[in-house]
Amino acid sequence: MNNLSSWRYTTLGILITALAIFVVVQMLRIQLSPQAQALRDKGELYSGAWTTLTPARGQIYDRWGNLLAGNNTVYEVGIVLAEIENPSTIALAMNAVVDADYDEVFSAASTLASDEAVYATLARFVTEEQKLRLEQLAEEMEAAYSNRGDTNRPSLAGITFDPRLQRSYPEKDLASNILGFVNWEGQGFFGIEEKFNDDLAGSPKRVWIPFDPNRVEEFPEVPEGTSLILTIDRTIQAEVEEVVESAIKESGSDSATIVVMDPETGDILAAATSPRLDLNEFWRYDEIFVDSTPFNRVVSETYEPGSIFKVLTMAAALDSGAVKPKTTFLDTGMIEIGGTIIRNWNSGAWGPQDMLGCMQHSLNVCLAWVATEVGANLFYQYMQDFSIGHLTGVDMAGENPGRLKLPGDEDWYEADLGTNSFGQGVAVTPIQFVMAVSALANEGKMVHPRIVLSMISDGRQYNTNSRISGTPISAKTAQRITDMLATSLETESSDALVDGYRMAGKTGTAEIPTPFGYTSNQTNASFVGWGPVDDPKLLVFVWLEKPTTSPWGSVVAAPVFRQVVERLVVLMNIPSDQMKVELLGSQ
Amino acid sequence: MYRVENITQAYSQAPWRKQLQWIGLFMLAMIMVAMVAGIYLSVSAQASTAGREIQIMYADMDEMRRNIENMESKIAFLVSNAEMEKRAEKLNFSPVAADEIFYILVPGYSKPGQVTLANPSGNERPAVPTISPEYTQSLFDWLQERVFDPASPLVREVAP
Repeated sequence: MNNLSSWRYTTLGILITALAIFVVVQMLRIQLSPQAQALRDKGELYSGAWTTLTPARGQIYDRWGNLLAGNNTVYEVGIVLAEIENPSTIALAMNAVVDADYDEVFSAASTLASDEAVYATLARFVTEEQKLRLEQLAEEMEAAYSNRGDTNRPSLAGITFDPRLQRSYPEKDLASNILGFVNWEGQGFFGIEEKFNDDLAGSPKRVWIPFDPNRVEEFPEVPEGTSLILTIDRTIQAEVEEVVESAIKESGSDSATIVVMDPETGDILAAATSPRLDLNEFWRYDEIFVDSTPFNRVVSETYEPGSIFKVLTMAAALDSGAVKPKTTFLDTGMIEIGGTIIRNWNSGAWGPQDMLGCMQHSLNVCLAWVATEVGANLFYQYMQDFSIGHLTGVDMAGENPGRLKLPGDEDWYEADLGTNSFGQGVAVTPIQFVMAVSALANEGKMVHPRIVLSMISDGRQYNTNSRISGTPISAKTAQRITDMLATSLETESSDALVDGYRMAGKTGTAEIPTPFGYTSNQTNASFVGWGPVDDPKLLVFVWLEKPTTSPWGSVVAAPVFRQVVERLVVLMNIPSDQMKVELLGSQ
Repeated sequence: MYRVENITQAYSQAPWRKQLQWIGLFMLAMIMVAMVAGIYLSVSAQASTAGREIQIMYADMDEMRRNIENMESKIAFLVSNAEMEKRAEKLNFSPVAADEIFYILVPGYSKPGQVTLANPSGNERPAVPTISPEYTQSLFDWLQERVFDPASPLVREVAP
């Protein structure tokens, strides 16, 4: 009996052991099989998700910290196909709330869920208000129809919202030409947004986020995009843009451009031009900027400046010693240079004129003679020192270098020396000309135009410094030409005169070249001025393109300069010359 | 010889008592295993809860960052130049002309300098982990630290 029991127990033990060994072997076989590996790999796919951590795009401020470009939340609306109850309701709601195409949404929502079809995007960049409306609709439907047994009950089940940041511009079209814009894909176009796109956008990082809370890891730190503080003063920019609009209306011009610079630091306080775009509606770009209209004329558009260029010619002549303020020139009404006859703007002969008279009456003949006195090589050397024909390097995208033909160039002729002296046959951008003139307003030191005051990166602010780009003329020459131009304005009772403030400036009227020469009646009217002359705090450049009420810069551009300065002296707290004397006296 | 066997038998434990001891030992082992398993389960559950909390906190941080950006944009819209002009007009303010301004000398007054929106460069802080070690350290790591570095603080301050 005992032997029998022992045999039975032994057999049972062997069987159970064999079974256990079989189970273990089978487990190992399954674990080590290729199918198991495939299953593990598949499981790994669902154990987390690759996510791109996109830093918030850096903000842009004006010089006083007012936000010009920020971010706000928009949503991608999608649907989880397996959870959809009623595609028609979803299509109707999307059509009503976000104006999505009914057929497209219905088609997407009607897709049967499968391994390949899990999720569909219905709309991108849906606003917070639209998202709230959709959520409200979903709740209302749930409350009204949840008890209905009908499988086709109205329902927005399946809709999901994925938030993300999108650029916003609180000031709408203010300084739009300077800022540029960011498209749906986050790419900056024009202006600051394009020039600093990489810095503003930051560096997105792609990370694996496990769903298993036991495997959670610290997210890598993704530094936010660099923020920028511009030199622009929001209030000055707004005032100047207002003047641009009124100037276009009053002069019947195609466009107007005004640049305001601090001649001591090179800070661009305002740079207004037309047309402008509400940057929150950047998709209207094609509608507003038709026929290759430049986005920002300040840096992208070149033009022949005409008589305002004479300030550079005279500065070069005075600085080189070719002429002195009292040097007399007998104006006979014409001069021949390189076989080309040059005449005055009114084709008249103005008789004996000193250099003040030449500038005051804007005599082409006199300035052409002055250029010949300087000599071609030296004249063009001065123009290059003034950075004419070169990029200024201002931090805005799309800068145009302009064109200055030089002796030795295939298309340079001796006659060019004469015509260039009064701003014909030379192409400059407004920013380039402003930079050149800053030398006259800043004791001979030409300042680099600065648009970015500071950069904020990793929580720290880095301030930029103003830079001197060169000293094309001496301080004495700068003072002389400033006095000469201030006197010139006073003597001719120019419309540019500002009550209480002595300003220096020069008008310009340039014919617009056509393929057949200067045959058009259309002009570019300009004015460049700076002041107060004893300590210049502002430099203002005005350009009206093809004015219709009058072709002359003295008639249409000079009053615009006055309007701008009248507002600037208030906004910049610049006391009148008389008040300054009184204040100093009281001290 | 017979006497020795009798004595041995007299002092040996009864079979049922041996069985009971074995069962007791087995049960003790089982209870210990259950206790270890229970502690392991409890610690794992706490770790999972903490991990889940971290995930939620990251999501909250993300949402808060977006909310901050939203708020900043909303404030900027509300105090934009156009809005402020409208408000000023509503309050019967009008632009001042140059000849309406009277300047006075204020000794010691200096014009407002450049706007500061962040710390100036140079004040760099060393990077420190933002997750407390309590969330990442294993029990073994903690024991090792307590044994080999008992002076280390029990709670560490981490940067926000």
